[in-house]
Amino acid sequence: MLWRTIRSMEAMVHSSTFLLPKLHQAANTPAKNYALVVLNQNLPRFMPRLWTHAKLRICADGGANRIFDEMFQMTNEQDHESTRNRYIPEIIEGDMDSIRPEVKKFYSSQGSKISDKSHNQETTDLHKCISRIHRSTPDHEKTNLCVLVTGALGGRFDHEAANINVLYLFSDMRIVLLSDDCLIRLLPKTHKHEIYIESSVEGPHCGIFPVGAPSGSTTTTGLKWNLSEAEMRFGSMISTSNIVQAEKVTVKSDADLLWTISLRNLT
Amino acid sequence: MAPTPAMSHSSAFLLPSSSSAAPAGSADPAYALVVLNQRLPRFAPLLWERGKCSPADRFFAALLSSLLAVLGMCFSLPTPFSLCLSLAAQVRVCADGGANRVFDGMPELLPGQDPDVVRARYKPDVIKGDMDSVRPEVMEYYSNLGTKIVDESHDQDTTDLHKCVAFVIDNSPILDKSNLCILAIGALGGRFDHEMGNINVLHLFPNSRIILLSDDCLIFLLPRTHTHNIHIERSIEGPHCGLIPIGAPSTSTTTTGLRWNLDNTSMSFGRLISTCNIVEAENVTVISDSDLIWTISLRHHP
Repeated sequence: MLWRTIRSMEAMVHSSTFLLPKLHQAANTPAKNYALVVLNQNLPRFMPRLWTHAKLRICADGGANRIFDEMFQMTNEQDHESTRNRYIPEIIEGDMDSIRPEVKKFYSSQGSKISDKSHNQETTDLHKCISRIHRSTPDHEKTNLCVLVTGALGGRFDHEAANINVLYLFSDMRIVLLSDDCLIRLLPKTHKHEIYIESSVEGPHCGIFPVGAPSGSTTTTGLKWNLSEAEMRFGSMISTSNIVQAEKVTVKSDADLLWTISLRNLT
Repeated sequence: MAPTPAMSHSSAFLLPSSSSAAPAGSADPAYALVVLNQRLPRFAPLLWERGKCSPADRFFAALLSSLLAVLGMCFSLPTPFSLCLSLAAQVRVCADGGANRVFDGMPELLPGQDPDVVRARYKPDVIKGDMDSVRPEVMEYYSNLGTKIVDESHDQDTTDLHKCVAFVIDNSPILDKSNLCILAIGALGGRFDHEMGNINVLHLFPNSRIILLSDDCLIFLLPRTHTHNIHIERSIEGPHCGLIPIGAPSTSTTTTGLRWNLDNTSMSFGRLISTCNIVEAENVTVISDSDLIWTISLRHHP
């Protein structure tokens, strides 16, 4: 790759301020709008703060059951009813084969838009939700929008792989997959990346993976074991169990990479 | 071009233990079980029984062991070989904190039985790792029951699964190696970098049969060097399945036995990958120009 090409490559800045109790504008990053997509697995324990930061909350089918059943134990509300009335998704979207009838009825009566996509069996519920957000967000706003997704990891492996593929299929959007243990983002090869670390809530364990195709050359800074024009490939070396050692990690690569970092202190 | 050799796969090891685990026409595989540090799947006791040597194998191993003990007195055999012989009958390995999971989890999975009886019955043969997760009282408990403790310094280049797989392969008797199947639990979910590292272990040992299992699914590698016949045990797995080209795109994959078969189809992240597919036949065949990860859901029985 020509040096000039690297220098002229635009930087993409990432930060995890959405994990903090209150949003703040991280240094060098524009203010972000957040959307939240809730898939059908156990809610992470920090769900209330994600809900509060997001301007748009979409439950994918059975994700609505999870909000209905599980939010109470994570909040200081008096009872289930108060919790349910407080956490109403704007949209429930998907093929509706998992959402319980009473849950659908409750949210519908509270004003949630029910978007029944049962005729479309070709894409996952996450794909449908991201597709909707993608269609309704003007291009110039896409860089300021960050979609937070819970429940995309773990469970059935083919679902997890399909959810990861959504990051690749919508690589012009910022999408973060979250679990109790970690988060994942795509680092497209079209940009050099600056990842600001919120060390109170994330790290130190991290990793970088060439899931779609091997990397002939990846260079990083800010890690305990940095890469220097290193090749990475499944079947050979990939960067797992690495450690963040600086406030900012940088990554440049000739391949799309997945970035992951462990989460902590998020009760 | 020479035809690619065929490789058969079966999940019969998940059937109740009275059933043979061998696909029709082949020998019973020799199973090893690796337990990593995550909550045990509900079928852990069943897998544990698979990792046990049969009485015939134990007898043979004891005979060989005695013969070589005699030879050893004459010719001083190296220690790893002796360990290898004793491991013919010992193929359940806990990676560090995996021992905590067995200690806590097996009595939970078998309520109504005395916990100490359960722990003695489901005793790891080896606990291996840097010992920074296993609780001291757990290590002592199993050590007193005869579990071998293999203590090692922390190695940043390999995951716990990698270390355990290498250990099992190095220490399995030559007779078992070609028929060896390593079952690993606790390798999926949790920290994503661990999961990716564990999937990489499948790629790093493409000539070994290694199956990663969770409550929801199992995954294994289909190396591009072979045509694959996957026998589906419908009572315990399916119907949801997928073929995932992790690490490199596939230009051409062809399948039979699926609802949405591939026909010389290309697959890659960023484009098509086969997920949410459905098995529709008793046998699924796969041939590809790239290593693929096969995954199938496991049925949750009440």
